[in-house]
Amino acid sequence: MSDDEMPLDAELPLAGLRVLDVSSFIAAPAAAVVLGDFGADVIKVEQGTGDPHRNSYQSPNYPKSDVNFVWQLDGRNKRSVALDLKHPAGRAALDRLIARADVMIVNFPLPVRERLRLLYEDVSTVNPRLIYASLTGYGETGPDRDMPGFDVNAYFGRSGILDAQRQEGGPPGFSLPAQGDRCAAMTIVAAILLGLRRRDRTGKGGWVGTSLYANGIWSNGTLAQAALVGAFVAPRPPREKPRNALMNIYRTRDDRWIQLTLVREEKTWERLCRALEQPDLVADPRFATREARRENSAALTALLDAAFAARAWVEWRPVLRAHEITFGVIERLQEFPDDEQARHAGIIAETTATDVKRTINNPVRLGFARPRQAGPPPAVGEHTDAVLREAGLSDAEIAALRADGAIG
Amino acid sequence: MRDSEEALPDGFLPLAGVRVLDVSSFIAAPAAATVLGDWGADVIKVEGPEGDPNRFMVNGTASYPPSQVNYAWHLDGRHKRSVVLDLKQPRPRAALDRLIATADVMICNFPHAVRERLRLRYEDVKAINPRLIYASLTGYGEAGPDRDRPGFDTTAYFARSGLFDAQRYEGGPPGTSVPAQGDRATAITLVSAILMGLIHRMKTGEGSSVSTSLLANGIWSCGIIAQAALVGAFLPPRPPRERPRSALANLYRTGDDRWIQLVVVREDKLWPNLCRAIGRPDLEGDARFATTAARRAPAAELAAILADIFAAGTYEDWRKALAAADVTFGVISRVQDLPEDEQAVHAGAIVESANPEMPRTIGNPVHLSFARARRATPGPALGEHTAEILREAGLSEEEITALEERT
Repeated sequence: MSDDEMPLDAELPLAGLRVLDVSSFIAAPAAAVVLGDFGADVIKVEQGTGDPHRNSYQSPNYPKSDVNFVWQLDGRNKRSVALDLKHPAGRAALDRLIARADVMIVNFPLPVRERLRLLYEDVSTVNPRLIYASLTGYGETGPDRDMPGFDVNAYFGRSGILDAQRQEGGPPGFSLPAQGDRCAAMTIVAAILLGLRRRDRTGKGGWVGTSLYANGIWSNGTLAQAALVGAFVAPRPPREKPRNALMNIYRTRDDRWIQLTLVREEKTWERLCRALEQPDLVADPRFATREARRENSAALTALLDAAFAARAWVEWRPVLRAHEITFGVIERLQEFPDDEQARHAGIIAETTATDVKRTINNPVRLGFARPRQAGPPPAVGEHTDAVLREAGLSDAEIAALRADGAIG
Repeated sequence: MRDSEEALPDGFLPLAGVRVLDVSSFIAAPAAATVLGDWGADVIKVEGPEGDPNRFMVNGTASYPPSQVNYAWHLDGRHKRSVVLDLKQPRPRAALDRLIATADVMICNFPHAVRERLRLRYEDVKAINPRLIYASLTGYGEAGPDRDRPGFDTTAYFARSGLFDAQRYEGGPPGTSVPAQGDRATAITLVSAILMGLIHRMKTGEGSSVSTSLLANGIWSCGIIAQAALVGAFLPPRPPRERPRSALANLYRTGDDRWIQLVVVREDKLWPNLCRAIGRPDLEGDARFATTAARRAPAAELAAILADIFAAGTYEDWRKALAAADVTFGVISRVQDLPEDEQAVHAGAIVESANPEMPRTIGNPVHLSFARARRATPGPALGEHTAEILREAGLSEEEITALEERT
């Protein structure tokens, strides 16, 4: 069934759910995005200066753009309330919001939560039905519990992923902005949904959580599990000396990379030689058998390097297809905006914002509901008055908070 | 509240009573079933007579560490019962319908053409059980020109999404991934989709089809730069570490072949500390490197100096020296270090199992205060529970015997 054919429910599956996003940067706020996509009313609680992630698009490590594409992605479908949580009156106003929330997502370092009375123990008394979702870098206890954890170090560096991505003699791999954060976000979503399932049955709220470190190890699970039984893989040989030259990557004349994946070599080797217009290679004793090709994989790689470098990717593609060679190309993001498959797979979604017209959908697909269309993300404190009023604060109380400096 | 706290308010497993059919192979889809099993679901793995190929990956592929212990199968097969049914044959296929009739969730990752042939599409199975949550995993989505292409972690999640290309150093080859890295991340998305399906069923009484694809997850994980691409902005290629943008945010190899990732954010404050930590107080007064701007201009020159210095000491020496001088750096752990990492236990990432052959395993990354994930059992032998499961689904002894003779 295609994504477009199924009848949809009138109501989104998380409609009616109120989520407080008391978090900053990416993993935790991105979990709130996913909940908002499916209908939750997400209220972002920020200091007056706003989530620093609002300015990430100006970071030198991010692609340069005049529009705030990052905030569109991670701020969509949220309302913003600006409260100074260090101010007693601001913190008290938050309790009013907590009292009527279903879910609260927190990622502050544990000492900060203690100081601001934002631990589960603090807020569960205000609302015993609350699902409190905690994200930490390294977990809730242990020697490193208070260390600030970021994607690069807690998810990728500490879990052994970057080291395991090394080629023999080369530097560690590197990750892309928020790559692990966004994976961890999906785990927070799953944890929250399990909490809601239990609440539906028992009426009780509860603590749920995850850490960047646990997610890094989960995604590196195969190698980490091997390590737990004392098994390790030898460093990955460099591309020039692969274990198997027919399962390797080759650069084309125009600097694209072709991933060869020749599985049934007894058939495919000859086809490859013909595709490369080097039929003599078939009988070359250095490469005549599977064993010989393994033995001489460096020589074969050098030969294939020269062959693939002679033509551009667009020239190779029809040739490889015609000879039924299994291959892939290392795609570039330059192609992504026009990728028809990305549209079919529901990956690119239209927004109603004027500056960022298309955005990245969350990866969950439901036959009975389509994610909400995103409008522009909120300005800091854009919804402070509306949300506080909904929580039962009178206009006089709101004015007093503002006069006190507890708002924004 | 603690990840590993012992006292549980009720010990209730949130998915107790949920029956899951794992009609899938390899990693992303079966790992989703594993996560559900951790939280109490009764997971039935339906396999062909040859078994899930994931049973044979250890010692079967060069990218997996060789071992006497089938750790990959134990990891992805825990809490599962195995039933063997040759779904190409009419009678075993009919027996599967009996299982589908009693299931809450069915996870399927076969290529679309195979599902059509085996009558395993949502349309086919929904007629048998309208309350079923059908969870589909594909490489590239449910529709579109590439819907029928077999998708793997490296091709669909990493290569097609642009991740590998974006992980290139200038002039270098594309990045690499670790085995099943994207599969395991995708598994959690499928779990979230299934849980939304269960919530929907609780509200409406109706089953549904839910899904995700490796491609959608790859792009979600590189969402920042993919979103940038949608507004026409792209990351410049990363300069090689010999010519970094900043020598103080760069990688250096130690004498014992470990790596130090310097992350000196507040440079003006920490530059003198760094110079002292590396035993080169003279650099502090060196005019070439006196200010942040100055250090950026000859970044390659400074990187070369630092590379020589770090190569002269061991990782442990440098770790102590940098920490003592309050210089921030990122740890590049090796997989070898994980078994000894106390924090991994505190974070619930490494847990005890109930498998004598493999006493410790990788914890489910979802943590709940009100329930502890089940202790991991060994992955089942192929067909270990065939008779038992068919009996539960109401097949008679004669029917079961007839089926077993065929497979």
